[in-house]
Amino acid sequence: MYKLYAVLVAMLLVHNAYTQACNLQLTGHVMDSAIGGSLAYATVRLVEVEQSIITDIKGNFEFTALCPKVYTLVISHVNCATYTQSITLTKSVHVDVDMPHTYNTQGQAVVIGTKERFNTGFKKELSGAALQATSGTSLAQALSTINGITLLQTGTNVAKPILHGLSGNRLLIINNGVRLEGQQWGNEHAPEVDPFMADKLVVIKGVDELKYGSDAIGGAILVEPKSLQKIACKTLQINTGYFTNNMQYYTNAIWEARLLKKPQLSYRIQATYKQGANSTTPNYRLNNTGLTEANYSIAARLDKTNWNTELFYSSFYTTLGIFAGSHIGNITDLTNAIQAKQPNPTFTGQSTYNITRPRQQVQHHTIKWKSVITLPKSKLNTLVALQINQRDEYDVVRNSTNKKPQIQLNINTLNQDVNWEKKLTPYSNTTLGIAATQQQNTYTGRYLIPNYLAYTTGLYGIYKWSKHKWDVQAGLRYDNKVINTTRLRINNNVSSFKFNYNTYALSTNVGYKLTQGYTTNINISHSTRAPYVNELLSDGIHHGTATYERGAITLTPEQSWYASSNHSYTSNNSKLVISALAYVNHIRNFIYQQPKPENPVLTIAGAFPLIQYEQTDATLTGTDVQVQYAILSTLNITTKYAYLRAYNNTTNDWIILMPPTTASTSITYTLPNTSAFTASTIGIEHTLVNTQHRVPTKGPIQDYKEAPQGYNLYNVQAQSQVKLHNIPVHITLSVHNVFNTAYRNYLNAFRYYTDEIGRNVALKLHIPIQF
Amino acid sequence: MNKKTIQFMALIVLGALTFSSCKKEKEEENDEEVITTLTVRLVPVSGGAPLEFTYDDADGPGGNAPTQQSITLAPNRTYNATVTLLNKTENPVKNVTDEVAAEAAAHRFYYTAQAGTNIAVTNLNNDGNGIPLGITSTWTTTAAATGKIKVTLRHYPGTPPNKAAADLVTDSKSSTDIEVEFNTAVQ
Repeated sequence: MYKLYAVLVAMLLVHNAYTQACNLQLTGHVMDSAIGGSLAYATVRLVEVEQSIITDIKGNFEFTALCPKVYTLVISHVNCATYTQSITLTKSVHVDVDMPHTYNTQGQAVVIGTKERFNTGFKKELSGAALQATSGTSLAQALSTINGITLLQTGTNVAKPILHGLSGNRLLIINNGVRLEGQQWGNEHAPEVDPFMADKLVVIKGVDELKYGSDAIGGAILVEPKSLQKIACKTLQINTGYFTNNMQYYTNAIWEARLLKKPQLSYRIQATYKQGANSTTPNYRLNNTGLTEANYSIAARLDKTNWNTELFYSSFYTTLGIFAGSHIGNITDLTNAIQAKQPNPTFTGQSTYNITRPRQQVQHHTIKWKSVITLPKSKLNTLVALQINQRDEYDVVRNSTNKKPQIQLNINTLNQDVNWEKKLTPYSNTTLGIAATQQQNTYTGRYLIPNYLAYTTGLYGIYKWSKHKWDVQAGLRYDNKVINTTRLRINNNVSSFKFNYNTYALSTNVGYKLTQGYTTNINISHSTRAPYVNELLSDGIHHGTATYERGAITLTPEQSWYASSNHSYTSNNSKLVISALAYVNHIRNFIYQQPKPENPVLTIAGAFPLIQYEQTDATLTGTDVQVQYAILSTLNITTKYAYLRAYNNTTNDWIILMPPTTASTSITYTLPNTSAFTASTIGIEHTLVNTQHRVPTKGPIQDYKEAPQGYNLYNVQAQSQVKLHNIPVHITLSVHNVFNTAYRNYLNAFRYYTDEIGRNVALKLHIPIQF
Repeated sequence: MNKKTIQFMALIVLGALTFSSCKKEKEEENDEEVITTLTVRLVPVSGGAPLEFTYDDADGPGGNAPTQQSITLAPNRTYNATVTLLNKTENPVKNVTDEVAAEAAAHRFYYTAQAGTNIAVTNLNNDGNGIPLGITSTWTTTAAATGKIKVTLRHYPGTPPNKAAADLVTDSKSSTDIEVEFNTAVQ
């Protein structure tokens, strides 16, 4: 199969070489109609080639290497209504655009805000139509469309993103500028984020992660809403859809408006409701796999001459059913369940929205207050955020009249972050910041992790320089983390611990533009992650895996040295886009779970294997390659390939539960516009997930079942836009797993019990209404 | 720094200070589902003192190791047996047998004697649907011998439980709540 991909890529390259070169130019000049002068710093985007340019000080822009075809030019500027124009290129053209600029912007204040240099290390983004196509799925599922990201699942409803083999506490999630502090430590705890919040999802590994912590060993995921500053008119967006597999429907509405023009006062209200019934695999429906989700958020922002301030509140609430056949009493039950070809009919076949035990109920509230004060040549950002997280787990219980959750975990987190951004020269700027976090965890019910109070204080500095073909970024961070834990056992048996960790991080990135279309960069990062409370102090039976988990208070911070090299190439005619990444992540004191078969834990339900948190030296090496090629102006082919090796250097063995090699190819055909339908595409996608052969084989047995066989999946997707009463309605019709293939996924904890879900047809509507 | 900056700073510091423990740390509740103690009480039908044999793990899974007695019975006797389950981690001690009896349609005891043990367990009491439950049973001994009896409690988590008379101890409809093997001697 890989040979086939190699041939495919080679063919694309050859084909490209023989294609006629496109050498047309589109130049232009943007005018401000309100003040009658040139408009600098407007964003000019050419949709078809996905290129954006900022107009220079004279309002000029230039695109080169264009083909003779129709292009869509989109020009936007802060406080201006966006301007869109269709241009048919047959020869090089110059256009003059008069922007309906509503009022004079406050010069420097705005420009500093929009011109901030972004992370130039590893960075991947999901936005626009690609993000819309993931509507109705979870955050992790949406992210998994990005090359290099896979899912760590527990059944059908619980999924966490894995980036280059790392997830959970090693992969930070930044929700609207606030580091998500929920229950990321557990594999069966999904991130508490509504993906409809996002205008784009960005995955980074590099200098910018230092703003959020010294512990981003795996990187950071940024969930970014559209800036409220850019709201120019009243807009109502409605997203709705239906999935056939689990009869899931969802509705989301986003209302945004500007109340005052000067000073600008804008706000946004957003709400999502989602409900799904039991999911079905190709051969059976899984009982108790329904879900509901109800989220909303409110945001408001005031823009004054020298400062702006933003208030944000969001509420996330979900109930997730857990497949009833996964309740395991002891190791014999687990062995029996694994040997069965499919679950007992008692646990399959019901088609209902009802959710019984076992289930999880999670709520997460975020309140954020962010302000920016513009000083001469610099600005001061302040952020205060409070997060309240409550997680209730309803286990299978003996007594059917018992309505209580068996575990209730509360985490409250308060963040403060102050940073100062200064423009040093036209080519460089620096950011210095202080960040502090106070966190309190309490629990009732069954013991999982202790009560604790944690205090983190951090200092960071980032420097960015960019001139001519060079782009250099570097940063440093230091954090001190103090954790005080208490466990109040019955009969006043108290056990308390105090931990104190100092963690450091540094990151540097050098980018060089070899030619107009070829950029290369090298990133070296060091990050340190203090052990989390569950790794230190877990002590109890883990029912899903029939193991007894025990933490170790002697654990020391993980230290990662990460190096990556990224190459991105865009051909002169923009028909061929290649991006290739190679990385090595060497992690000293990597924390993992080591089975201890010599010390089984005896219980009334039999002996449970003991699994203990230990540390080792690990090396994760991998590569991601993506090739996009436009065979014709209407026919696009994209191939993605992700490969990872994760090795335990102490035991000389592979590390368990790492993503297998995956490769996917999609072909998208753009249909000609008709009077009714525009921007219509139809595409097919093939995904190959290889069998994970790199599994631990030495020492005590780590997995109860061999890694499942690799599989091929085929998906189809059609998108179009229809105008109804002048409202553009975006329609997506997709079929996931077209051939209803039965397969199991190595990274799903329920691979022991059930197949993955089967064919899923989805119809989705996205309706933006402007008033 | 201008005045506004100082105001912002002051508010942030204030925010940090007001973050005090808003939720009191409670004493832990032990796992409601824990069963610490299993006692088989055997009353000789022919009269005589009742016998009790116990498996006890008073602090639940982990911690101190469980203790377990061996079952010793007289040859050629019949005993009326009753099982009692306790959760000693709760205060006061909870009788779990009552819960099992209340959810009889979702529970079932199995008594598995090794070949040559010379103890036969029969006459298990039924749940409301006429399917064996096994909180009470009849134990009959024959000639002197040693062996093992495994006491298993299975829980049916499904809705409905679909418990049936023919279900084996390993049936995938149910999962294990208790699995205790007693050494036995008929002497």
